[in-house]
Amino acid sequence: MRFKMCNLFNWVVIMAAFLVLGSINVYAFGSPSSSSAETTMHTNNWAVLVCTSRFWFNYRHMANTLSLYRTVKRLGIPDERIILMLADDMACNARNKYPAQVFNNENHRLNLYGDNVEVDYRGYEVTVENFLRVLTGRHETAVPRSKRLLSDEGSHILLYMTGHGGDEFLKFQDSEELQSHDLADAVKQMKEKRRFKELLIMVDTCQAATLFSQLQSPGVLAIGSSMKGENSYSHHLDSDVGVSVVDRFTFYTLAFFERLNMYDNASVSSLFNSYHPSLLMSTAYHRTDLYQRRLEEVPVTNFFGSVMETIHTDSAYKALSRKSYSRAEINSLFDQSANGDKRTLADSNGQDQFSDLKNEDQQGAFRHLWNTFNDKVGKIEDVDSFVRYGLLAMVPLLLLPTLLSW
Amino acid sequence: MEEQSTKRTKQKQGRFWTWVTASVLFRLILIYFPQNLNLSSRPEVSTPLTSLRRLAEGYWLKQSSMSPYAGSMYHGSPLLLSLLGPLTVKRIDEQPSHLLCSLVFVAADILNSLLIRATGQTLQIAYRQSLRSLDLDMISEMEILSPGDIAALIYLWNPFTIAACVGLSTSPIENLAIMLALYGACKRLVPLAAFGWVMATHLSLYPIILIIPIILLLGNGPDTPRKLFLLRRHGKVEENSSSDSCQQEKVIDQSKLLDVFSWRPVMLFLVWTVMWSVYVLLLCGVSVKQYGGLWEMFTSMYGFILTVQDLSPNIGVLWYFFAEVFDFFRNFFLIVFHMNILFMIFPLAIRLHHRPCFLAFVYITISSMLKSYPSVGDSALYFGLLGWFVYELSEMKFSFFLFCVYIGVSLLSPVMHNLWIWRGTGNANFYFATAMAYACLQIVLVVESVSAMLNHDRKLRKLSSAKLQDGKS
Amino acid sequence: MALLFLLLRPVLLLSLFHFGPISQSQAASGSPAGEDFSEELLLRPLPDRKLLAHFHFQSRAPHTSSDGRHHHLFPKAISQLVQKFHVKEMELSFTQGRWNYDQWGGFDPISSSNAKPPGVELWAVFDVPHEQVDDSWKNLTHALSGLFCASINFLESSTTYSAPDWGYRPDSGSLRYGSLPREAVCTENLTPWLKLLPCRDKAGLSTLMHRPSIYKGYYHSQRLRLTSSEFEPEGVGSGIVLEQTLTVVVQPSSQRTVRSYSHETKLQPSWSLTSIFGRKVSSRCVLAKSSIVYLQLDGSLVAELDSLQKENKISSADNYVSEGVRSNACFEVSVKPDRVLKELKGVEKKSPSVLYEFSIDKYNESGPFDLGLTWKVPVAWSCQKAPLHVSRFLMGSGNERGAIAISLRSTELTDELLHTKTSEGTCKLEVKIFQVVPWYIKVYFHTLQVFVNEEPQAVSDVVEKMRVSPSVDKLSPGVMEMLLKFPCGMKSAAITLEFDKGFLHIDEYPPDANQGFDIPSAIISFPNFHTSMQFLKDDSSDKSAILSKFEENSAVLAYTEVLLVPLTTPDFSMPYNVITITCTVCALYFGSLLNVLRRRVGEEERLENKEKQPGWLRQLLFRLYAKITGRPLEAVGSTSTSSSSSSSKLGFIILVAGIAVFWQVYYG
Repeated sequence: MRFKMCNLFNWVVIMAAFLVLGSINVYAFGSPSSSSAETTMHTNNWAVLVCTSRFWFNYRHMANTLSLYRTVKRLGIPDERIILMLADDMACNARNKYPAQVFNNENHRLNLYGDNVEVDYRGYEVTVENFLRVLTGRHETAVPRSKRLLSDEGSHILLYMTGHGGDEFLKFQDSEELQSHDLADAVKQMKEKRRFKELLIMVDTCQAATLFSQLQSPGVLAIGSSMKGENSYSHHLDSDVGVSVVDRFTFYTLAFFERLNMYDNASVSSLFNSYHPSLLMSTAYHRTDLYQRRLEEVPVTNFFGSVMETIHTDSAYKALSRKSYSRAEINSLFDQSANGDKRTLADSNGQDQFSDLKNEDQQGAFRHLWNTFNDKVGKIEDVDSFVRYGLLAMVPLLLLPTLLSW
Repeated sequence: MEEQSTKRTKQKQGRFWTWVTASVLFRLILIYFPQNLNLSSRPEVSTPLTSLRRLAEGYWLKQSSMSPYAGSMYHGSPLLLSLLGPLTVKRIDEQPSHLLCSLVFVAADILNSLLIRATGQTLQIAYRQSLRSLDLDMISEMEILSPGDIAALIYLWNPFTIAACVGLSTSPIENLAIMLALYGACKRLVPLAAFGWVMATHLSLYPIILIIPIILLLGNGPDTPRKLFLLRRHGKVEENSSSDSCQQEKVIDQSKLLDVFSWRPVMLFLVWTVMWSVYVLLLCGVSVKQYGGLWEMFTSMYGFILTVQDLSPNIGVLWYFFAEVFDFFRNFFLIVFHMNILFMIFPLAIRLHHRPCFLAFVYITISSMLKSYPSVGDSALYFGLLGWFVYELSEMKFSFFLFCVYIGVSLLSPVMHNLWIWRGTGNANFYFATAMAYACLQIVLVVESVSAMLNHDRKLRKLSSAKLQDGKS
Repeated sequence: MALLFLLLRPVLLLSLFHFGPISQSQAASGSPAGEDFSEELLLRPLPDRKLLAHFHFQSRAPHTSSDGRHHHLFPKAISQLVQKFHVKEMELSFTQGRWNYDQWGGFDPISSSNAKPPGVELWAVFDVPHEQVDDSWKNLTHALSGLFCASINFLESSTTYSAPDWGYRPDSGSLRYGSLPREAVCTENLTPWLKLLPCRDKAGLSTLMHRPSIYKGYYHSQRLRLTSSEFEPEGVGSGIVLEQTLTVVVQPSSQRTVRSYSHETKLQPSWSLTSIFGRKVSSRCVLAKSSIVYLQLDGSLVAELDSLQKENKISSADNYVSEGVRSNACFEVSVKPDRVLKELKGVEKKSPSVLYEFSIDKYNESGPFDLGLTWKVPVAWSCQKAPLHVSRFLMGSGNERGAIAISLRSTELTDELLHTKTSEGTCKLEVKIFQVVPWYIKVYFHTLQVFVNEEPQAVSDVVEKMRVSPSVDKLSPGVMEMLLKFPCGMKSAAITLEFDKGFLHIDEYPPDANQGFDIPSAIISFPNFHTSMQFLKDDSSDKSAILSKFEENSAVLAYTEVLLVPLTTPDFSMPYNVITITCTVCALYFGSLLNVLRRRVGEEERLENKEKQPGWLRQLLFRLYAKITGRPLEAVGSTSTSSSSSSSKLGFIILVAGIAVFWQVYYG
């Protein structure tokens, strides 16, 4: 509830900011950003993989996320372009019989938590606020690059979320909620800030479809594990680990991808059609009305892998501009962090000055009187006894006039 | 006849003093078991402002040449620190710790009761005079026991008072300051009133609103249904003044304020106030000079009161409210809750200007209901003061209801607190519910007492006007 | 991080292919000018049938002023840290499990420098003006959190870190210290740590780091220590020294059935690198100046072996200290040691410890290096303990208040110390305590009590020096630094501090609030005891990193347990109810009081005309009756006036409020 309020509050502010920003964009670039998104070409692939649920019995959610992580890495998205958010530590959990290993299948053939996992946000860091910051790129200046989603207007972004959800919300850490409105606002803002060209949102929760209901930005493709009113169930239980290790939707998604390698061009529609409600025990829902291209032509590696097409000379100018754009961003990041220090320093000073100032005008009234006292007070070596004498002096001072005025 | 009355009065005196000594003995007995019933750690008794433990911490910090306000432990006055601080570290072996402090608090309580008694007697005398001048013979019904004695005994034997006194909270001293102010104002001892008011305001911010009743007291004496004299003086009687009585009353108000209110003591009071406040500020400034200076003192005393920073539970409602409210509404609600005290000041002053002591009672009740860190010590004071008006408020409604709620809350709230904090079986809401009931109790008390007092005055006016009619006809 | 690694990769490959030989030649010449890197592994059997494996990687870069910002071996990320945040000295440790000071030793360099508190511990000394230290600290925490995939950035908030004055390290001022006891430590922290090594875990000793076997251990602490003299004038100090250690305590799985002996001391489990790590060292890291494996036998173990040899009357021909012998009466080493080093007699030490040195230069794919130790006779010994055994615990029950107690028990060392030092009269045992408590643990420092041998003592004659900075709500933690002096004959001592538990705002609780909150470990150090092991070596020119580390004179210190404090939780589920009900009550007060005040006189007149009112009790009964039987008041025959109706209104409102409150309670 209160999270709703908080998000609402944030979004009031952020939307206001974004309106200004949007208008500036339109003014500066002239053309609306959507059309520019059409023309810009695919530069790079990013993946944001989020496991939002804490506690050991949600092992399967972490296994889902790590399986996707492994898949997109196998299909060629490098580690620095993957933002991995894990809400809890299962691999080294005291309850884990297999330390430093996570399995998504009861034949422990594949250790998802291999030697080369890079978790960017973990534990208490996985909050709605951080998630929205990652999407919208509004970080503190000190946040390192490896924790930022540094995508540009040509990026294809895969956003995978799993956890416990409900009607139009997704629970984070069992204590706060991501509303579908928040998600839609974040995506809209990403669009306006030209942070992606195409975005695939894949959600594996109960009633996942309801999370997409507010989306309205072009270029967004969404697929959820279950319709409204449906649960999405776990696939099977590993009796050694003691909990169920993978969810059905993710399991069959992986089953689809295991057959592929980086250069297959299986289409997204084939992925979508590969989900059988009987197997999932829920109907996978995909929303395609915001997406322009025909799904039959779009290969899955468009989102799940990183297959670069060569940049032709006719678009060299764009490529150049884009390069300079990104470089500019990098520089700005660096000097941001530099003057970020100054800023914090400055306002810490500011507070001091503030208090001094208060101090002064509080004393200003009887300043001269005060100064005359100060030197006397300076002479007093035993302050306590002086104060006590003062308190004693109160009694005669009190009694005398009282008796007089009796 | 004469000696009978004197004997009866003597009897009453004797009874009163026996009760007082009994209460003192009771306190002393309780003081000897501080560990068995550690009242000092009860949230109802010791708030962050009044707990002696924090004061001892502040004194320790000061002794180790740190600012007593370093850390957010101590929020009291530096004067209190240098007054009570040494007593907290002094140990008399074979005696419970903090014995000296408890003795100080007992003394403060006794002094309080005596002041309450004296004030009550002056009130009673004034009331009798006024009635006699109206030759309404209602004297008979107040022959049983003088309201001053009743108030003093209520104060002394109120379990809240005893808890606050034995539980090592500094609220008896704050109450003492308030009572000094009221007593001084009643007896028109201007310097005393000024001193009391300044000290009370310095110790716990809220008594600052008592300046209105004090000025009224100094201006036109203790409580009297004053407008009756005016009725008499104007000599006009309204039979069926359902319609014109209102503007009638207004007229009377204006005329009264002109001729009755005496400005001289008020001016004196203001002068003395300035002197005392300068003196107190000087002492504070000296004692906190080598640390943060006065500004630090103000921020950590009054800033701490105004921005409710400590969310530890107490019998008020604000702690839980501010523990649950969203951060970006916090300031708004802070303003609302503090305004709630101030909003009611002027309506009450306008309506009850002729009963300053009762006005003071109402103010004290309101402030101790809505203050940031309320404790039973505050409610002990106004329950005592309630005894002043025992005859005026004899027709108060809901008295039985109030009594039951009082008993119920004072029994349930420790139980709920224990369930929540110690057993871990309860929920915060359980305890908060009792706090809420307590707030309702105080609200009903305020509202009903005010309405009863207004009714009482109207009844008197009715009677006097009736008498006038008789005199006329 | 990954991007940094990308930047790093070409450098690494280059250096692999080109600068490898050069660096080797440098190593051969032992010139301190260039960058160098050394990898070492120390293995030590522990008394409680466990094994200590201590990896030590050290890489050094000269002044950037001398040869630019281009690094062959030294990790670029670290040098960037140093350059950007002006880090003079820094230590970061990720630890899981607690070091067992009694069984695994509390008086040797490893325990004093590599035993770390659980979770993450970070301290850093900056070379910036005082007012900038906090900002550099905050930026450093963010950078490290990005670098090591941990949420170190939680150390950014001023409630989590502290600025110890003299309690933690002598050199203070721009020192900041913070620790996260609950931080999870796992593979994703080790991986970036390994990527700082020139060979990563592809070659050399680091190939042994098989994740499951490491994280299966009883204790593992991964540490990164950085000392830079970048900002001192040229020539002073030796550039940046990066020291990465991984300390693991594992239980060797004893394959062979333990033969039972007459006396019940069981045979120590035999182990080999393969049995522990499941891997062999196939080759050294070609970039390393030296890659050595040590096998250390404790002093007391050596003494034990001596005595065994005595009673077995074994000729000193196959004495285990003699050079290059693989086997003796007590145990057998699977690989022939290249050298055997004997420790020079320390001051308090009775018997010197012994080091077997294995250089793994000569091993390769065909003949990989697999060290093993096989025990022949059961041996029981005990490690050298710290002068005092330290433990910390909580006292009291309930969620309102409690007390922290630190108890110190004397070990046999202090007894012998007593025997030695009673010659001179003034035998004092100094103990330094550094403790940080979060702000919601409100410590009453005036309740400090000191007990020596269960008798309460006056604080002033035990506490030599004390510095306290009390905690400010939501702003800074409470820091306590104490220097205690105990008489040597002391058997046990205890220090207690009382505290109140704070109440937090509902947003300040973590998602698993009911798990409780952690108080980070206190650090107990013994300023007048030092751990330094001198191993005699022929030439000190190319002294190995571990041995030079051992020779450093560092004070004995011990970390106490992390305390888990449960705090009271408000009701998370329904803040709205609280807000609405409280506001209702306020409105009730305001409205009804105004209603009373603005009541017209005329109505009162009518009231007067009515018959006199009955007593409050009768009236109340009537009203209750009327409420119960829902009939209007007139029917009861009581007064039907504005006042009574208003008061009945009031009563109704009270009833509603009461119902609301009870609903809140029972459905809360």
